[in-house]
Amino acid sequence: MKPDLKSLYRDTLLMHSRAPSNRNPLPDATTSAKLKNPLCGDLVSIHLKTENDRITQASFEAQSCSICMASASMLTEKVIENPIQEVQTFASSLIEMISDPEKEMSLPNNDLNALSGVKDFPSRIRCATLPWEALLAALAEKMKGKG
Amino acid sequence: MTDTLSPPTIPESLKKAREDFPILKREVNGKPLVYLDNAASTQKPQSVIDAVTRYYSQENANIHRGVHLLSAEATAAYEAARGKLARYLNAADESEVIFTRGATESVNLIAYSFVEPLVQPGDEILITHMEHHANIVPWQLLCERTGAILKVAPIFDNGDLDIDAYLSMIGPRTKLAAAVHVSNAIGTVNPIERIIQAAKAKGVPTLIDAAQSIQHMDLDVQALDCDFLVFSGHKLFAPTGIGGLYGRRSLLDGMRPYQGGGDMIAHVSFDGTTYKEPPSRFEAGTPHIAGGIGLGVAVDYIQSIGRNVMQDYESQLIKYAANRLKNAPGVQLIGEPTHRAGAISFTMENAHPHDIGTILDTEGIAIRSGHHCCEPLMTRFDISATARVSIALYNNHEDIDALISSLAKVNALFG
Repeated sequence: MKPDLKSLYRDTLLMHSRAPSNRNPLPDATTSAKLKNPLCGDLVSIHLKTENDRITQASFEAQSCSICMASASMLTEKVIENPIQEVQTFASSLIEMISDPEKEMSLPNNDLNALSGVKDFPSRIRCATLPWEALLAALAEKMKGKG
Repeated sequence: MTDTLSPPTIPESLKKAREDFPILKREVNGKPLVYLDNAASTQKPQSVIDAVTRYYSQENANIHRGVHLLSAEATAAYEAARGKLARYLNAADESEVIFTRGATESVNLIAYSFVEPLVQPGDEILITHMEHHANIVPWQLLCERTGAILKVAPIFDNGDLDIDAYLSMIGPRTKLAAAVHVSNAIGTVNPIERIIQAAKAKGVPTLIDAAQSIQHMDLDVQALDCDFLVFSGHKLFAPTGIGGLYGRRSLLDGMRPYQGGGDMIAHVSFDGTTYKEPPSRFEAGTPHIAGGIGLGVAVDYIQSIGRNVMQDYESQLIKYAANRLKNAPGVQLIGEPTHRAGAISFTMENAHPHDIGTILDTEGIAIRSGHHCCEPLMTRFDISATARVSIALYNNHEDIDALISSLAKVNALFG
């Protein structure tokens, strides 16, 4: 069966990739992480500002394809004003939802569902998960600093 | 302009070439396959597939060992392939062709067995800015081990090597002058004749990375007068996991083994071991016998078409492709070298190369998107990736036309 381009490049995803939210450096970030997909060269940095175990600001910088860009943009919108622990749990489960072909992706009223199109394009799964992996790395880095 | 835009005529000996490659009959995503990723790996003609099948079904045995018939037949077929390659490259002697897993292993072999014993801290290895990682990283590793310095000759904005700079960098401490013949990422053909001549005049050994050029051009190692030349079989219509290197016999004779094991020894005892002469000295262990035989048959296949015919046709087709791409809306060529072979890199205003690759794939068109194992080159052009189209002898102008039509779909989605 022919994979459907329309399901990969949904309007929500294209909107985020054309006009991403929070695509900027964050000079007063508490923690940051930069990840690269060595396969394609996509590069994404996630910057976070945290206060009392909450994420108060989030931004990203990327040299990447539309899917990675949109995923990072939605990520920043999703995590701001959320407790770190909840964000970590959510990010892990989202990565699993995107990567595991057996798992359905249905988040209530959530732009992030637009990422589910990559399931039909296995070579693009990492494009969607890369920013979330960077987010987890940034939070792990913060925890290390704390310890 | 009109001349270069008109599609090239397919020469007589190439008219049926597509039929020789069974994979070209398959469909991808409901569309006929348009395979334009030949710089990454070429498809295999039926004759190569048959040779590999025949080996495993009729001749399978280890080589250089048994006295039984199968081993003798396998040995003869494998060594015949070495002979074919030696004649294909016009090596002075068959022993100058060493089988390896491919160009990457060949560079590593030369680094370890030839260059490393020669270098002192502060000595230099010279390469260009457009090398594949396979002709960068082995030298970086060598520099880490020895204190040698990796020197990188610059390139111009159009993707040409700054040849004057390269030549001026061959100095008293240069222990090897290495260069890629044809850039896998942007298609530049480098003036390796000038590099080899200049290096030779200063007594500096030369290494040519022919991983790309071997599928597109006539190579004559004696006319070139290079000391080493490396290549991969799978970019020459042969199986993966087999390739080789040409090395000048007088240099090979003085080189230490690369790996130790069976088949490379003259005599083994716990008091000391002696090694065979080249090429066996550098071929430890049971090799990829079927691959070697397949590589020999791939060489036969190209000879049956004629290398000059192939080279002329491909140079017209790549010009046609570059011209059509250059005039396609939203397309920006990366590198417009004076001499080009095989490959064209481009980016698009509104779509990332990775997205271009996915959209083309849904149209049955296979291209490569990424950094093409040339990250320093990408950095030089201030980009992280390109979309790359690369041709082989079985491609035609309809493949290019299909590509151009599908790029309109990229613009429709992202424009």
